[in-house]
Amino acid sequence: MQIETALLIGVLFTCATYLILQKNFVKILFGFVVLSNAANLLVLSMSGRPDGKEAPIVDATGRAMVDPLPQALILTAIVIGFGVTAYLVLLLYRIFLDHNTTNAGDLYPPREGVPLDRPLPGEDTPDI
Amino acid sequence: MQVVILPILVPMLTALTALFWGRPTPARRLFVAASALLQCLAAFGLLLHNAEGGALALGVGYWTYRVGIVLVIDLLASIMLSLSALVGLAALLYGMADQGTRSEHPLRLPLLQFLMMGINLSFMTGDLFNLFVAFEVMLIASYALLTLEADNWSVKQAYPYLAINLVGGTLFLCAAGLAYSLFGTLNMADIATRAALMEGDPRVTVLALLLAVVFLTKAGVFPLGYWLPNSYPTLPIPLAALYAGMLTKVGVYVLLRAFGTILPHDLPTAHQLLVFLACVTMVATIFGALARPYIRGILAFNILSHIGFMILAIGLFSERSLAAAIYYIMHHIVVMASLFLITGVAIRLTRTDDLSRMGGLWKQAPWFGLLFMIQALSLSGLPPLSGFWGKYLILEAALDQHAYLAVACLLIASILTLVSMLRIWNRAFWAPPVAPGSGVQPRGAAWVRLATIAGGLVVVSLVIGIGAEWFLKLSFAAAHDLMDNSNYIQLVFEQLGKGGR
Repeated sequence: MQIETALLIGVLFTCATYLILQKNFVKILFGFVVLSNAANLLVLSMSGRPDGKEAPIVDATGRAMVDPLPQALILTAIVIGFGVTAYLVLLLYRIFLDHNTTNAGDLYPPREGVPLDRPLPGEDTPDI
Repeated sequence: MQVVILPILVPMLTALTALFWGRPTPARRLFVAASALLQCLAAFGLLLHNAEGGALALGVGYWTYRVGIVLVIDLLASIMLSLSALVGLAALLYGMADQGTRSEHPLRLPLLQFLMMGINLSFMTGDLFNLFVAFEVMLIASYALLTLEADNWSVKQAYPYLAINLVGGTLFLCAAGLAYSLFGTLNMADIATRAALMEGDPRVTVLALLLAVVFLTKAGVFPLGYWLPNSYPTLPIPLAALYAGMLTKVGVYVLLRAFGTILPHDLPTAHQLLVFLACVTMVATIFGALARPYIRGILAFNILSHIGFMILAIGLFSERSLAAAIYYIMHHIVVMASLFLITGVAIRLTRTDDLSRMGGLWKQAPWFGLLFMIQALSLSGLPPLSGFWGKYLILEAALDQHAYLAVACLLIASILTLVSMLRIWNRAFWAPPVAPGSGVQPRGAAWVRLATIAGGLVVVSLVIGIGAEWFLKLSFAAAHDLMDNSNYIQLVFEQLGKGGR
């Protein structure tokens, strides 16, 4: 089981790297989703039995249990990854609404200067 | 010692209270400012306590060994906590003087406090996975602040920042998994004792390199730092000062912690990699500072270049060089934050930070010009200002190890820093206004208040430079704790022994 898990993690990392190197932001987003799953699987495989056939609890027969700590870590990582992915989707949608494209090549044209004439942050009169 | 949890708890409660307070009102501002002042005073108190040699630790919830999370405030952590509280306070006050309550975004203050919480947690935590969580808290708050008040152009600059940090976070998770499978624990002190027994094991080197990549991403070292120069200048000025001062330095701090306290000290491959990357960073990024036409961009590239100085000091890895790195962090946080605030005042006076349209600042306000000059010279490393002592110590450590190429890179980068600062000085302060009506337009006394807040940080940086003896003593004591981690380990184990659940 260890070998299959290692291969699966390798395949997932490969796909994620390929996707993240794309120019389209949506593909990068999916790349990140795959990448976080690969990382979670990697941590899960640290608990001893990656096939999930043993629960991290001791039953009445007193069989050896798998280490529960990596599972707790993954739970935290999944929640964090979920939140960040949701934020990323929203940001991407905002970029799409503003610029009508999610392609890096169109979003960041070469030699585009900084538009210095746009209003500067914090430019209004304070009332205190 | 229950007091250890306060640097996390106070910002969190402040953030939640401000969040449920709702709309920005003067009373809400006063509350947050009072809390920030309290955090600052508490952090200084902890620093003075630690300077006497009294490190503090707390096993949260009194869980035992292997499952419990430990919070540790040793000397290095309390130095960083004081700096973050100080810069946080300055950024907060500047933001309040800069903007009226009516135009303030209701989420800015709560998010700022959540950001402080994440920063403080990553300084204090004694657990590798908890460090991952601290990073995520910090990063999520920083993403939100980066895009909160962003326009069309700014929002697309936030995407690279997010993308690189997401990948960095995932790699950190892998590193934590690897550490757990290698050592069977995530507690930093426990890892340190076990890693010391595995001297020369290539797997430890792999872990060190993986951690180094993650933390160098946070610090913004050369090939991984492309997100910084375009994203930081899009922030409102007080937030840009906080980001420029603190966020990249969190990466440097964690690198110090990882290579000093946690990992064994015989990792020549990783140390050489750090020195190499540091040299490339110093020289390659400073050219960006020479090319950018606006002040915030020049400063952003200077952050990157000076991160290289600190990484070089870590890579040289002797007690002297680590002390130099710690002193340089103190110097750089305060100087960078104040330079961004000074830029904000200049923007208020001339309505722009585009160098080709600025001018006449020196004639308008000589004392304000003096503030900029002090900080610019300090950044370039002229005695007796704080930058000089940091650079001098790093140079000395590099010469000790006959790393002459690194010395050359450091000197070149310093001179080019001076050139980039002189560019700002000549164009914005010294030169006459470009066209009639385009130069300085004084608008009330608001800019004086802003300049006073920036001046407060300048005074702090002068104190760090002129009172270098005391600050160097602190740095050397902290570096000694990094090189000889027995006190840290003993402290954590005593703390974990108390619970026994």
